[in-house]
This record gives sequence, structure tokens and C-alpha cells, in this order.
Amino acid sequence: MAPVSIKGLKKRFGSLEVVKGIDIDIADGEFVVLVGPSGCGKSTLLRMLAGLENISDGEIRIGSKVVNDLPPKDRDIAMVFQNYALYPHMKVADNMGFSLKLKKMSKADIAPRVDRAADILGLRQLLDRYPRQLSGGQRQRVAMGRAIVRAPQVFLFDEPLSNLDAKLRVAMRAEIKALHQKLKTTTVYVTHDQIEAMTMADKIVVMRDGVVEQIGTPLELYDRPANLFVAGFIGSPSMNQIRGTVRGGAFETTGGVCLPLSGAPKTADGRVAIYGARPEHFMLSDDGLPAEVTVVEPTGSETHVMANLGTTPVVCVFRERIRAMPGDTIRIAPLPEAAHLFDADSGRAIRAA
Amino acid sequence: MKPDATVRIFLLFGIAVTAVLIILPAIQAIVLSFQSVNSFVVAGEWAGLANYRRILGMPEFWRDLWTGTCYAVCTVALQVVLGIGSALILHAPIRGQALFRAIAILPYILPTVVVAISFQWMLDGNVGIVTHWLKALGISNFVWSDSSFAAFATVVGVSVWMWTPFVTICVLASLQTIPDELYAAARVDGAGPFQSFRHVTLPGIRDVLVVVVLLRGIWMFNKFDVIWLMTQGGPLGGTEHLPVLSYHMAFRLYDIGGGAAVATLSLILLTVALVVFFRRFPIET
Repeated sequence: MAPVSIKGLKKRFGSLEVVKGIDIDIADGEFVVLVGPSGCGKSTLLRMLAGLENISDGEIRIGSKVVNDLPPKDRDIAMVFQNYALYPHMKVADNMGFSLKLKKMSKADIAPRVDRAADILGLRQLLDRYPRQLSGGQRQRVAMGRAIVRAPQVFLFDEPLSNLDAKLRVAMRAEIKALHQKLKTTTVYVTHDQIEAMTMADKIVVMRDGVVEQIGTPLELYDRPANLFVAGFIGSPSMNQIRGTVRGGAFETTGGVCLPLSGAPKTADGRVAIYGARPEHFMLSDDGLPAEVTVVEPTGSETHVMANLGTTPVVCVFRERIRAMPGDTIRIAPLPEAAHLFDADSGRAIRAA
Repeated sequence: MKPDATVRIFLLFGIAVTAVLIILPAIQAIVLSFQSVNSFVVAGEWAGLANYRRILGMPEFWRDLWTGTCYAVCTVALQVVLGIGSALILHAPIRGQALFRAIAILPYILPTVVVAISFQWMLDGNVGIVTHWLKALGISNFVWSDSSFAAFATVVGVSVWMWTPFVTICVLASLQTIPDELYAAARVDGAGPFQSFRHVTLPGIRDVLVVVVLLRGIWMFNKFDVIWLMTQGGPLGGTEHLPVLSYHMAFRLYDIGGGAAVATLSLILLTVALVVFFRRFPIET
């Protein structure tokens, strides 16, 4: 186990800069998730950590060692790939022990380490099989086993669950998290799925276009997004973003609807801004604002309602089962203390100092 | 029309063509091998195993079997090694990749007769460019067709030059099916370039290689045109192998039964070799 420190990291492909100066500190044993839309540079960053991509500028430290110029095998890392990257002609046990074999470790030394990893992951019965004889979830587990066997300082995961079906993904998510709690190895995990990020991470790094938009715990990002991008990216369904003007401590939408605010800084008065309200922060209330229902989506545990607040479309999530039909009018009230305010130009959060 | 009927019609057509062009002539050849025939007009007489007894007693048969085996083994081995090497080069992301790939397959699409004549000119003892170069290096009066070994090396060289692109194309296609992630995983696991080749590339192209070696083996063992065009088996039988022997006996000496027996023996030997090969290298599914 080791801390990882990334300073001023840049990656250029020719004149194209895909990672534009990134600083991240990862504590010993921490589970950090890099999340962002495709093309944001998160996978490139991970590959730079692994040593699979050269570093154009900046510094990566694993433990106390600068690893910029070290080949992957000398960085004391292990990586789990999206497509598992198991060697198709090797049995599970040989796949798991391959890195040790390359280190010229004897068979007698390799076997117990493979067995221990297999026990941790429940792979005992599969050790003599070939990858093609395994299901997607089992292959994923073998890929993790291959990482565990090396007992590395850092685990790197590159979208490891993308190829699994929805149910299995949820199960493996929990399994990886449990594994991390057991092994306590520093982990960097790349995904484009914000739910994976929220559920697994100690710390989330939200990236876009090669820069870090925000770093924080899952709930910090959810409750206090630094900007519109993070606000929109984290949470599902997405936060409603409503354009308008701050006026006298409240918010007036461009459609003329007045939304309550609490604790907006005085300096914000008169500014054109974006009002952010999470879908679950709308309450059904008799003295709420009238909204015309357009779509109702019952999920069982909750009800998603799309409605027009004046001319502004909003998405609300209610724990109750409501019987509204498209065309009905419901009365909804946003929770003022849960409302967010963002500058319309920069997209940055406007907060009382 | 039912799809079943369509399938049957195509299948029947294929079987008919195969039967007329391959199976019937093969049966005919096998029948001929048991006959004493010395004319293409008059029917032969049943001779039992006489042809076989005669041929197995001929030193030329054993010499030609050995020559043919050496020729097949040398050409296939060189084609495979050079084919893998050139495929690896053409697989690398280099500028002008498409152009190099197009150039690389050129020898394969040339007619054999053109290649054979071109090389004969280049190696000609008076005006050939190779002779010229050899003179410049101080080796004069070297006539390639005078020496058995030189002639053998030449037919091997020309065959390798001509058919390596087949291996290159097959291996190149197969290289493209190996995911990059596997190479990344191997690097993380600590594999160097040689180990990556040994543990990722080779297993990745193995099945294609098995088929390629098999096909090239059959083709090179039966290859007639290059040798016939360049040396006709000479000098002094130095490049003569079973197909040339069979042709020679049947069409030059009008010993048609004997020629057919050579061809039949050749077929049996090749079949045995293929069975052994498949036992040793089964194609994994």
C-alpha cells in the first residue's frame, strides 16, 4: 500500500493536449474513482499511472518514488482491464501466476499465492479452466485475481464493469468494494458511470476535457457541486437546471415563475443565474407551484414525473406513488435549502461566503 | 424455393464439380497405377502391384522423395519465419502502411511462369544481373544450373520469394485480432518484447499458423510448376521431386502406370503426414 501523488500532469499527442495539468493526491489505502464523459482523459490518466503512456509533463509519485520513467513492471501496480485481457491460451491459475512466473519465481512459491487469491475471490474450482470456459463475471474475477496475486502497492481499474450486464454489474460493484475493504490497497478506478463512482469511491475526481472539475467525497459532490458540469454529471436523474434571475432573495425563471431560495448571497441579487434543483428536492404541496405533467415513470420504489413548470420542463422524483396522468396539473414546491445557484456565464456555484 | 432446396442445389453443384475435376481423375489415376499402360490411346492391362514393386525398387524414387521433402520443409519453414517477420513489420503503425502492404503481396499475384523466367534471366550465366554482381565480387564463371545445390537453393529461394506473401497476409490478418489490451496486460505483468511475442503474439496467431503450415505444406510438397519451369528437375536430378518424377515417367517415358503409381504413393505419404500433423497440432475450438 502506498499513497499516490499526481502533480501538474500533462499528456500531449502531437499538438493535441488530452490531459491538461492535473493534481490529485491519493492517500494510502484510499479508493479513488476517476469519472467523466468519454474523451475526458480519465483512461489516459490511468494508463499514465500504469506506465503504459508516456508523461508529457508533470510528475507521478507512488509511495515516495517518482515513477515517471519506470516501466509498468517496476511501478508495483496491478491493472484490471475493461475486456479483462486474460491470456486465452493459459488456464486461470497460469493467468493469475503469470506475472510471478515472469519474475522467475519458482512454481512452489507461485502456487500458494495463486491459491490464496483464488480463495479470496471464490475461484478455487475454476483454476484449471481456460478463460473461454468462464462467464463474464468469472473472467472479471480472474482479472482481479491476477491483480491480487502480485500484492501491489496500487490497484488500477479501467472501466472493469462496462462489459457486464446490469445485474452483474451491481453485484461486482459490491464485490470490488468489499475486496477493497478487506485488502485496503490503494485503488484508482476509472468509470464513466456516476453511480459506480458514487457507490464505490472514498473520493471522486470528476474530469472533463482533460481537467479536474472537482474532487471530493461522493456526498460532497452531490450536495455541493462546484459547477454546473459536476451538478449535471453526478446524480440520476440529473439536477434540473433552470435559467433566470436572482431577485430579492428569490429566483425568477425566464418564464416568470418564482422559485424560493435560502441563503443566497446579497451580491447575487440581480444576477442572471442558473437555479439547480435535484429531482428529489421537489415536494408535493398544496401551496406549491402548478406544473403540468407530461410523462409519468413509475419505477416501483419511486415515481419519476416530468412536468412543465410554466414553460420550464423539470423532472421530479417522489417516494410516493402518485396517480397523476399526462395533462394533469400537480403542485410542487422545491426545497429552498437544497437549492443550488450557479453563475450563468462561468457555471460556477454561487455560495454565501 | 425452400432454403433447404437452395442449399441442396449449391451442394450438388459443388459435389458435381469436385467429382468431375478431382475425384474421378484421382480414382482413374489410382486405377492406372495398377495397370501396365504405355499409351494414352490403348487401354492398359491389369498388372497388380507390379508398378509399385518396380518403383519402390528405384533409387530415383527415394532420392526424389527426399528432395521433395527437403524442398517442402525448407520452403515452408522459410515462408513461415519470413512471413511472420514481415507481418509484424507491416502490422506496426508506420507511415505508408497501406502502400507497403500492397507491395508486399505483389509476388503472390504474379504468374509463376513470369517469376520463373524473370529469375532465370537474372541468374543467366552470360547476361544475368546476379552473374554480373557475382563478377563484381570476384566470383566469375559461376553457372547456377551446374550445381545441384545451387539449383536447389534457387528453386527454394524463388518459391519462398513468391509464396511468403501468403503467410504474411494470413498472419497479418490474425495479428489484427489480438486485442491491444493483452499487450498492455503483458507489459504490466512484466513481459518484455520477446516475452510478449512468446506469450501473446504466438498464441494469438497459433490457429492461423497451423492452417497456414498445413496448406503451404500440401502445396509445396505437390508444387510442380516452379521446379518444372526452372530446372525440370535437373541438373542430374538434383531438384527432381515426386511430382516431376511422376510427370517424367508418365509423359516422357510413356510409363503411365508407373507415373500414376508415383502419384498415388505421393498422395498416401502426404495423407499420413497430414494425419500426424493434425494429431500433433489440433486446431482448438
